[in-house]
Parts: sequence; structure tokens; C-alpha cells
Amino acid sequence: MQGIDKNTKKRLTAILAVICCVLQLSIAPNLPFFGGRANFMLIYAALMAQLFGGRYGVIAGFLAGLFFDFCSTSPIGLMALLLTVCAYVLGFEVRNKLADDFSVTVTQFSIAALAVSSAYSLALVLVEDAGFFQALFMRALPTAVITVICYLPFASILSRNRTNFTVSPRRGGSNRLH
Amino acid sequence: MAGGRATGSGLSGTSPSTGGRALIIFIVLSISLFTASVRGGETGVLGTIRSGFSTVTTPFRLVGSAITAPFYGLGNIFSNLTADQATLSELQEENERLVQRNIELEEKAQLADRLAALMEIQSTYNLQSIAARVISGSTDSWSSTIIIDKGSAAGLSVGMPVMDASGVIGQIISVSPTSSVVRLIYDENSSIPAMIQSNRAHGILNGSASGGLTLDLVRSDLNVDIDAIVVTSGLGGVYPKGLPIGRVTIVERNPGALYLEISVEAYARVQSLEEVLVITSLTDEQRASADDISEADAQEMSAVNNVPEVQTLAQSPDEDEG
Repeated sequence: MQGIDKNTKKRLTAILAVICCVLQLSIAPNLPFFGGRANFMLIYAALMAQLFGGRYGVIAGFLAGLFFDFCSTSPIGLMALLLTVCAYVLGFEVRNKLADDFSVTVTQFSIAALAVSSAYSLALVLVEDAGFFQALFMRALPTAVITVICYLPFASILSRNRTNFTVSPRRGGSNRLH
Repeated sequence: MAGGRATGSGLSGTSPSTGGRALIIFIVLSISLFTASVRGGETGVLGTIRSGFSTVTTPFRLVGSAITAPFYGLGNIFSNLTADQATLSELQEENERLVQRNIELEEKAQLADRLAALMEIQSTYNLQSIAARVISGSTDSWSSTIIIDKGSAAGLSVGMPVMDASGVIGQIISVSPTSSVVRLIYDENSSIPAMIQSNRAHGILNGSASGGLTLDLVRSDLNVDIDAIVVTSGLGGVYPKGLPIGRVTIVERNPGALYLEISVEAYARVQSLEEVLVITSLTDEQRASADDISEADAQEMSAVNNVPEVQTLAQSPDEDEG
């Protein structure tokens, strides 16, 4: 049974977490895009799900969502819920999806970004009595677009170095980072 | 894709976890947190944790604000695209020369001007206030907020109104010891009691997701001019009476409607906010007087009493035809 290179996995998780958290706190608030702001926590959750998937991705998604919730002024737990589900769906196959065709990976993320942003907007419409169309077209859509744009460099770098991060499922049921 | 999945998952119990159990656990946890957050609000345990979190992360916001400050000018590029290229080049060269020589002095002069303007407005309106610096915008897309560098340690608390030299910009909605979150007047959850300065027509100024402001609940039989000044009415006891907010840009009068549809352009430019004043307390003169309240009530009652009259007027052409 081959072992998992846990150190590489942990190191990558920690580096991406620090980068995304710092960007979420420092850059996202100051660079609005047509009323939307990049959701770096969604990017982190998606990267974790696409790289490692499974339970690892789900946990990363929940924690990333919780971080976003504490940063924002909206009810806590909403983004955590959405990113948990998003990470589960994106990481369902438990393998490195960033090793797939780049355009497919980006398309999957784009759909996820739009779904998460729209669901978040709709939930806020219910909770905070905001305008439905305004929330959807003036908040969710720009957020999804700027988030996808910010996701591209991460995905590009990670997919280019995919041989270093490839997860290969094995008989023992674990994954390995080469 | 399918191959990878088949290899990776397998049908035996040795397949890697897809996270189904973790998904259920964290969904339940998220919903519990969400429920507790909605029920507890900013005063609950989660609100306190969020306040602590805000304190811990303030340095990162400050750094981000400093790093991104030079990029604020990028927005002007789009508006300059319509200008003549030669003109732009000349202006650019001239601007570079001036910037080289004056950048430091200009910065200090601007700071002095802003502080002087704040002091002036503080003196003009006799405001009990504390000056604060804007350190960050909203971290999410769903709220129009800013974060300022003063919190409960400086005596700030939830509900205090905030303004800059040009007028009202919002209200504090959460505080931590070292920072506070200010909900801007543009936020769709923002509502401010306001009135037209010229004819004292009372209404409620509401924000929207589009970034526009509307003055609602102003009676349709009142005359409101374009460019009329909108000020705070002082009703509700949160905002001092008479603070400037903006000017009327559009007035729509729909037949049969009880109220006018009024669009307002705020004086404050929240994109370029740097220093603000937090109003910490109101004097008796700044609160709405009994006369103001009676006047607002009278306007409202008048609007209600006019309902049959408006309906009658709307129906009269049909009756004439009949």
C-alpha cells in the first residue's frame, strides 16, 4: 500500500489557505467589479475540492465558507453551507480534476461560482428582504464573473504543475501526491 | 474522466471517501450556525466572535487598503477613453511633471483640506463627533459597507450616524474594539428619515442594490423641484436634524399614486472616502422637535385622507364619458 505524501498535501493546503485568506481580507474589498467582489474563499474551496476532493474538500469548503461568513456582515453559516455543498459536488470523484482539460475545469468552476453566488443572493433576498432581480443581476452575476477571473491564475498554475500534485487513487483506497 | 473515476472509486469498501458523511455533518452544522446567527443578531455569541474576528483581521485590511490605493485611479481610465488622444497625451505629460513635483505636498494639502472640512462641518452643525479613517470596503458583494479604524475602545457603538464633509454616508451596524462596520446609505437595507429642505416634505431615503437612492413616502400633492436639497429630518432620533444628504435628480408623479417617486443623488462620494466623522451624541436642538413630528404626522394623515379624492379624480374622465 502506497503512502500519501501528506506533507505536500498539507503544505499546499496551508499555502493556498493563507494566500486566499489574505486576498479575501485585503484585496477583495478594495477592488469592486460592477458592484461584485471576488470570493477568494470560493476559489479556495473549489481548488481543494478539485485537487483532493472527498472529505478533505468538504472540510476545506466548510472552513472557507465560515471564514467568508465572519468577514461579511451577512448571517453566519450561509456561505459555509453553500461552499460545503459546492466542494462536495466539485470533489465528488476524489481525484485531481485540475489534471483534466483546463477548459473543462474552468467551466465547472464557472458553473459552481454562478450557482453559489446566485444561491447566496437568493438566500439574502429571503433573509434580508432585498430586491430579487437586483440581488441576482447586480450582485450575483458580477461576483461570479470576477471570481472566475481571479480563479484563472490559480487553476492555471496548479494545472501546469499537475505532475507535482496529481492524486492517483490506489488499491489501498488512498490518494497520493507525486 | 470516467476512467479516472472507475479507477479511483471502486466498488469495494476500500474506495476513498467521497465525503458524504462529512457533507451531512457540515450541512447540519452550517444550518445550526445560520439559525443561531439570524436569531442572535450582532449581540449574540456569533456576533461577539465576529467582532473579535474583525479585530484580529484589521491589520490585513489596513495593508490591503494601502496596497490597493494606487489602483483606485484605474477607474478613471474608462472615462478618459472618450477624450481626444492628443489631449490625453498632453495632459498625461503635464500631469506626470506635476505629480513628480507635488505629490507629497498635494497629499498633505488634501489631508489638511479634508480635516478642515470635517472640522468645519463639525463646528457648523455643533456635532459631538469622533474622526475616523476608512480602512476597507465591504468584503462581500451583498452589502455596501465600509470599515473604519475606530471601535468600541474609542466610544463608538452600533447605531451611530456617520458622515463626511459633504454629508451623511451611513450608520454603524457593528463594532469591535478597534474597528467598526458602517452601512452606507446606498445599501439596500438602509433607510433614513429625510425631508426636502425647501418645502419640509418628509419621507424615507432608501438605498438599493443598483447604488441609487430613492426618497419614498413623499405625498404626491407636494411640489418637489429637481435639484432640491434633501436633508435628514431628525425623526427617529438617530440622525441629527438638517444634515445634508443629496439633491433630487428625478421626480415622477404617477396618476392615482399616493406618493411621488423621487431619485436622489448623494453628495458624499463613497468611492473616495478616506476620513469620516462619527456622530456620538445629539443635542436637544439636533433632535426632531414635537412640531417636526406633528408636521410629519400631518403630512402622512393628509396623504391617507386624500385617497378617495385621488381615486375620484382618476375616475372622473370615465364618468364624464358615461
